[in-house]
Amino acid sequence: MTMLQTSAPAPTGTVRGPRPARRGAVIATAVGVLLVAAPLVLGAYPVSMMTRMLAFAVLVLSVDLLTGVTGMPTLGQAAYFGVGAYTAALVGVHVTSDGAVQAAAALAAGLVAAAATGWVAVRARGIVFLMLTLAIGESVHQLADTWSAVGGSNGLAGMPPISVFGAALPAAGFVYWWVLAVAALVFAAVALVARSPYGRTLRGIRDNEARMRALGYRPALARFGVYCLAGAVAGVGGALWAAQARFVSPGDLGFEVAALALLSVVIGGSGSLWGPCLGAALVLLVRDSLSAYVGGHGALVLGVVFVAVVFLMPRGLAGLARSRRKEVRS
Amino acid sequence: MTAVLELQGLTRSYGSLTAVDHVDLVVREGERHALIGPNGAGKSTLFATVAGTLRATSGRVLLNGRDVTALPESARARRGLLRTYQHSSLFLGCTVLDNVALAAQRVQRVAHRFDRPARRFRRTQARALEHLESVGLAGRAHDLVSALSHGERRQLEVAMVLAAEPTLVMFDEPTAGMSAAETERFVTLLEGLPRTLTVVIVEHDLDVVFRLADRVTVLHLGSVLASGPPEAIRADEAVQAAYLGAARTEDLFTGGAR
Ligand SMILES: Nc1ncnc2c1ncn2[C@@H]1O[C@H](COP(=O)(O)OP(=O)(O)OP(=O)(O)O)[C@@H](O)[C@H]1O
Ligand SMILES: [Mg+2]
Repeated sequence: MTMLQTSAPAPTGTVRGPRPARRGAVIATAVGVLLVAAPLVLGAYPVSMMTRMLAFAVLVLSVDLLTGVTGMPTLGQAAYFGVGAYTAALVGVHVTSDGAVQAAAALAAGLVAAAATGWVAVRARGIVFLMLTLAIGESVHQLADTWSAVGGSNGLAGMPPISVFGAALPAAGFVYWWVLAVAALVFAAVALVARSPYGRTLRGIRDNEARMRALGYRPALARFGVYCLAGAVAGVGGALWAAQARFVSPGDLGFEVAALALLSVVIGGSGSLWGPCLGAALVLLVRDSLSAYVGGHGALVLGVVFVAVVFLMPRGLAGLARSRRKEVRS
Repeated sequence: MTAVLELQGLTRSYGSLTAVDHVDLVVREGERHALIGPNGAGKSTLFATVAGTLRATSGRVLLNGRDVTALPESARARRGLLRTYQHSSLFLGCTVLDNVALAAQRVQRVAHRFDRPARRFRRTQARALEHLESVGLAGRAHDLVSALSHGERRQLEVAMVLAAEPTLVMFDEPTAGMSAAETERFVTLLEGLPRTLTVVIVEHDLDVVFRLADRVTVLHLGSVLASGPPEAIRADEAVQAAYLGAARTEDLFTGGAR
């Protein structure tokens, strides 16, 4: 035993190549620079497309927080995304064009909506939880579709362009920067949660809930907590979506959005945070842009991609990068 | 010395099978109490019922004189009643350190904090590493549990349960799957534990039992056959008579193991 100990394996990744952490930082910086520089070189359409991707990525982060980190696959996050989008639009129409106020209101609305609906859902697990969240999503969709105060099936239009810190944003590029800044902030916050003791608690619940109870945890409490957090995150995503589109309709919180968000997590690799963000960009790209080239069969393409991912790379894009890194190291 | 754990007529049935049958048992503070019996005697079921994983069909469980029979498992754990499992129950997708830190952070009441990264909670990290060190796994802290060998997982299980700072811990065949060296380390670790900690241990290895235990209870078909100091149990005719066909009690216990 003592001999075993002295020959403890050397820390991985010290021998060859840059340490994974440092390489990760380099890549993150590069991606950050590219994202910030995008409006300077791209036209208006790609920039608005990227703005939507960022907003959608925030929704996907909230799905990943539940699905990947806590092990609760969900189809309900589009509901809180929608609640956030409608809240932001209503604030925009009736109160203020300040983007920060809209985002804060959407965050609060997403949180409250998740708290109000989630306490039932989090009692269930697995497929039952998935069905409950689906029911929540459909109910909220129905509500948006029929409630005339928010425009019913026509949606909510007439939202003025957002302003930031009192200044109106003169061009699409500025809206993009605003959305990028908020999305980055949310990403950092979710990353912090994932790395915190609370994140550890959530992973414990994902891996072995019964053992958590035996250690003295009350998993239901932690599950409810993360459900509310995810609701808040999705709410912010909704506000960002509204800031770009300046129009919200029931379609923005329908089943399709929920399914695409879950699909993004699967494609990206659940549990990793950057993977699902990449997945979000990919999914939206296929749905909104490539769809035209394949005769409007975007959904079909996504279906094929989904099946391919499940069979060829079960741990998604993030898993692909991980295994490549391992090959490089050994 | 006061009774840390007292069982009164504890019964647990699976349908028509009564796996634990009116068990009365007293475990005193600081005791090293071994629970032995052939396969299927109901030892694991008894542990699960005491821990609260399984509901008692009838009878009571008293912890430090308080009736905890109605309390859920997690509440009993928070009162210091912890156990390990016969079949490892770990967090396979987490690192070795995370597994132990999960126990430590709950005791230190930081399990729901998310204001800074976990590694910046130095007290939790230090405590978790300390426990990993004590079972010889400090070098594997950042590996995934799924990369550990069976014996290492058994050791991790021990570190995890001790990091939860129990007052009473029940080990269910902790050395099953450990190498001889690992078993030795485990026994030494247990011998070094403070007497503020009470230990109940199910163990098939009678060498381990007689080295550690200051009381032995024999369970047979769900009932207590005998309970007393090790020497008395070794000599007990009822214990030997219960296993007709074997010349020595030892053969039965070890021979039937797993
Ligand atoms: N989930 C279950 N459902 C039905 N019967 C069970 C269940 N678990 C255990 N039993 C039965 O209850 C009895 C006691 O089992 P238990 O696992 O408690 O024994 P044990 O003393 O721990 O045995 P071992 O030494 O093999 O671990 C056995 O007859 C077993 O078949
Ligand atoms: Mg057993």
